[in-house]
Amino acid sequence: MSRIVDVLVVGSGLAGLVAALTAAEQGRSVRLLTTGMGSLAISGGSVDFLGYADSRLASDPWQSLALLPEDHPYRLMGTESVRTAFKFFSDTMEKQHWPMRPALAQDGTPRNTQLPTIMGTLKPTYLLPASLNTQAMASAKKVLVLSVHGLRDCQPALVVSQLKRYKSWADREFTQGLLPSPFGETHRAITALDLARLTDKPQSRQWLLDALAPYAGKYDLILMPPLCGSKANPEVWQAVNAAAGCPVVEMLSIPPGVGGLRLRDALLNALHKHDFELVENTTVLRAETADKNCTSVLAEASGQQRRHAARAFVTATGGILGGGMVLEPGQCWDSVFKIDITVPQDVTLWSEPQIFGNHLFSRMGVRVDREMRPVDAAAAVRWQNVFFAGRSLGGYDYATEKSGHGVAIATGWQAGRMAAAAAAAGEKQ
Amino acid sequence: MLETTVVVIGGGATGIGTLRDLCMRGIPAILLEQGGLAHGTSSRFHGLLHSGGRYAVGDNESARECIEENMIVRRIGRQCIEETEGFFALTPEDDPSYVDRWVEACGRAGIDAPEVDVKEALRLEPNMSPEISRVFRVPDSCVDGFRLVLHNAMSARRHGGKMLTYHEVTGICQKNGKVCGVTAINKNTGETVEIACSMVVNAAGSWSGRIAALAGLDVAVSPDRGTLVVFNHRFTSRVVNRLHPGSDGDIFVPHGSITILGTTSMPTDRPDDTTPTSEEVLRLLKIGEPLFPRVREYRILRAFAGTRPLYTPGNAAGRKASRNFHVVDHAEQGLDGMVSIFGGKLTTYRLMGERATDRVCAKLGINVPCRTAEEPIIPDPDEATLARAAKYFPVQGIKLMADRMGDDIGPVLEQAEKAETNPLLCECEMVSMAEIECVAKDPSTHSLTDIRLRTRLGMGTCQGTFCSLRTVAALAEHGISLELSPTDNARRFLQERWGGLRPALWGMQAREMELGRAVYAGTLNLDGAAHEQDC
Repeated sequence: MSRIVDVLVVGSGLAGLVAALTAAEQGRSVRLLTTGMGSLAISGGSVDFLGYADSRLASDPWQSLALLPEDHPYRLMGTESVRTAFKFFSDTMEKQHWPMRPALAQDGTPRNTQLPTIMGTLKPTYLLPASLNTQAMASAKKVLVLSVHGLRDCQPALVVSQLKRYKSWADREFTQGLLPSPFGETHRAITALDLARLTDKPQSRQWLLDALAPYAGKYDLILMPPLCGSKANPEVWQAVNAAAGCPVVEMLSIPPGVGGLRLRDALLNALHKHDFELVENTTVLRAETADKNCTSVLAEASGQQRRHAARAFVTATGGILGGGMVLEPGQCWDSVFKIDITVPQDVTLWSEPQIFGNHLFSRMGVRVDREMRPVDAAAAVRWQNVFFAGRSLGGYDYATEKSGHGVAIATGWQAGRMAAAAAAAGEKQ
Repeated sequence: MLETTVVVIGGGATGIGTLRDLCMRGIPAILLEQGGLAHGTSSRFHGLLHSGGRYAVGDNESARECIEENMIVRRIGRQCIEETEGFFALTPEDDPSYVDRWVEACGRAGIDAPEVDVKEALRLEPNMSPEISRVFRVPDSCVDGFRLVLHNAMSARRHGGKMLTYHEVTGICQKNGKVCGVTAINKNTGETVEIACSMVVNAAGSWSGRIAALAGLDVAVSPDRGTLVVFNHRFTSRVVNRLHPGSDGDIFVPHGSITILGTTSMPTDRPDDTTPTSEEVLRLLKIGEPLFPRVREYRILRAFAGTRPLYTPGNAAGRKASRNFHVVDHAEQGLDGMVSIFGGKLTTYRLMGERATDRVCAKLGINVPCRTAEEPIIPDPDEATLARAAKYFPVQGIKLMADRMGDDIGPVLEQAEKAETNPLLCECEMVSMAEIECVAKDPSTHSLTDIRLRTRLGMGTCQGTFCSLRTVAALAEHGISLELSPTDNARRFLQERWGGLRPALWGMQAREMELGRAVYAGTLNLDGAAHEQDC
């Protein structure tokens, strides 16, 4: 058996990475086990804090917290803790030279931004990379919408036709353009990630700068799919904005999640400054518990089983999508601790007839206390040194609320902090 | 007012098959369909071209019709059929004494059903249960019901036939006990359409009782609801039936990369009662397990339901009701000029059309023989056309495309030749831009769902998660507009897919469904946009 670490985190989505970093910054040794890339590999890269509450658009999300149900993770933690968690995240990103900031209202209060997507819809989101100029987005009159030849997921005509259906964008003057593909004639389907990876490297970045040159200085704003690199590298942005001669805003895009990979890059860079070990391509099979504590988890990598012991554990395995929560007819449980989540026997009751309705399954998850420790039906803590974070928690619907990354940051921070404290207590014993 | 000789009601296999037959015999005809083509049962069944083995014991006459038509349809409709053959397998839960009766009945119906050594059967179908004790080989096949209807429609059109889709019949006009016309409402525009005619063929399937009632006739047609499960794997190469008297959920039918298991049987009073339930899905899995023990581990793609039009004079219901069809001349009940086709099944659609057309001919005093059993529905594309296609389509996709498109292969190729590139927009089903563009421009196409039914767009693993965005984007870029806006169209398309995902919301399918919600709600805010656009 390998050395006992202080905090073992399972899952490398945003919640897992934030938990790991929180614990590491408190001086704890941290090991993170992950099967794949986590949800950041499909994320658009902006932080949705709370876009809708009680089915109403939230312009000031902090005000709207009061509209959430009591068992919502934000309510459970309390507004002040959520604020502290967000500050921790923002500070981290500043230090990594990849600032994530909210737009500000006239009176200086932070508010949600309606960010355009590659479908031409607008999505309320909270923290944006500082490279996205929200001021320019609000005031631009002449807007150029660009995509790249062969990029099937983003077509300027769709973006323009749909953006025009919003009052705030209806009067703007739109122009459409297609940049030549740097791959030339190819039958292979290209994605924004292929293009962003070219942009990462200074020697191959030039294709984008050259392609933008003919448009330089003619517009107030350029909307583009996420092409400006897959790493949290501000240099790329400076170069792209200079080549465009106006602010460039990337539209939110579907998987592969270029924007999310930048967040992952920044957080891993921060983590590697600490006593931190990343174990990839490993699947946690189950937890081993004794009494009121977890002692280790059993994981499998390349057909080999290995036991990972730790003083405290954070489970951030994602929900249904990440595989952290398993649904079977009439049953639901979490994949590591096998906590049985009470659900109606009749699967029909799990969902609504409308696809974006108020589904029960979307809020299924592990119940926790304020400290993110799982509790049983009688509200008693199951294990003293186990903490849950992110979508494996119940009580919220990240998709319709637009709260996914926000809950991940808040609960990841809380779980990481509590796990660090539990590990410290365990060490003393 | 439109004028024709015969109005055919119902745009499923039977109605379109009848229209084709009428037109091939030179009789002017117009077909009315309340939805799109194959809106009803012809797109909501397991896609089995019966050998007749299923009916051999209980309904030998149906079995004989099945095997005869099976052989004809594979000849004339090659593009719609996958000649898989089928197994009938005896599981420990089935009565062994049934086997002799079944073998004897197959022989009587003319169905070639030799016994296969169990070891050999398991070698051919390794996922089948090793507990199986006897296996028989029959000429079952798989049929794409929607494509069959579409190709028949293309053929009918070539012979001068006219079709009005999204037209719901509102009245059968009669004068002195004789049919003189039909009224319908255009469901897209709300306009009323009148067609003067001398005869009506009621081929409305599950709705045929309602059409008869419109003409003031009382007929016993009981819709019977059946639910089916689609798996995301092809775990069998052949159709596999349980060797026992006809019952729920005991036939597995492979199609392309998927497998369909069906069906249940439950009476309903609504022909459009097509919402499947989780309970039915679970029941199907239970009944399917003796044939394929790992059936619960296979990922379910969706569930769907359809209604069968059972003809039930004398109150025979459910499984006991005959699957046989009846061509009824309502002159006997005092309405001259109306012929109804009741009951039946897809396998015998052509024969039903032939019998109905024979009756129409007799009434009209026309003496032209039926040719539908001889002429292929769609002519095969020539070598030169296929060589042209090779430049624009991935090599594995050419045959798929040619079989799908039928008569439209020419326009699709022209489209591909005109365009700069011809990317695949739906990777699961290998549907390319040229096909989608060509179908989207067809006047009968109103929505992404119509494009799906013609091309299989969004019917594969991702269930529309990637291809619906790509398709609305490509159509916008090419300046092709449909009735709904791109975002509304995508939303409705995903909603339609959602109906089939809901009853099996577990396992891998639940994860795939969450990916769809992550993309369309989480990232693209399609749900919020529904309220915020146009305001």
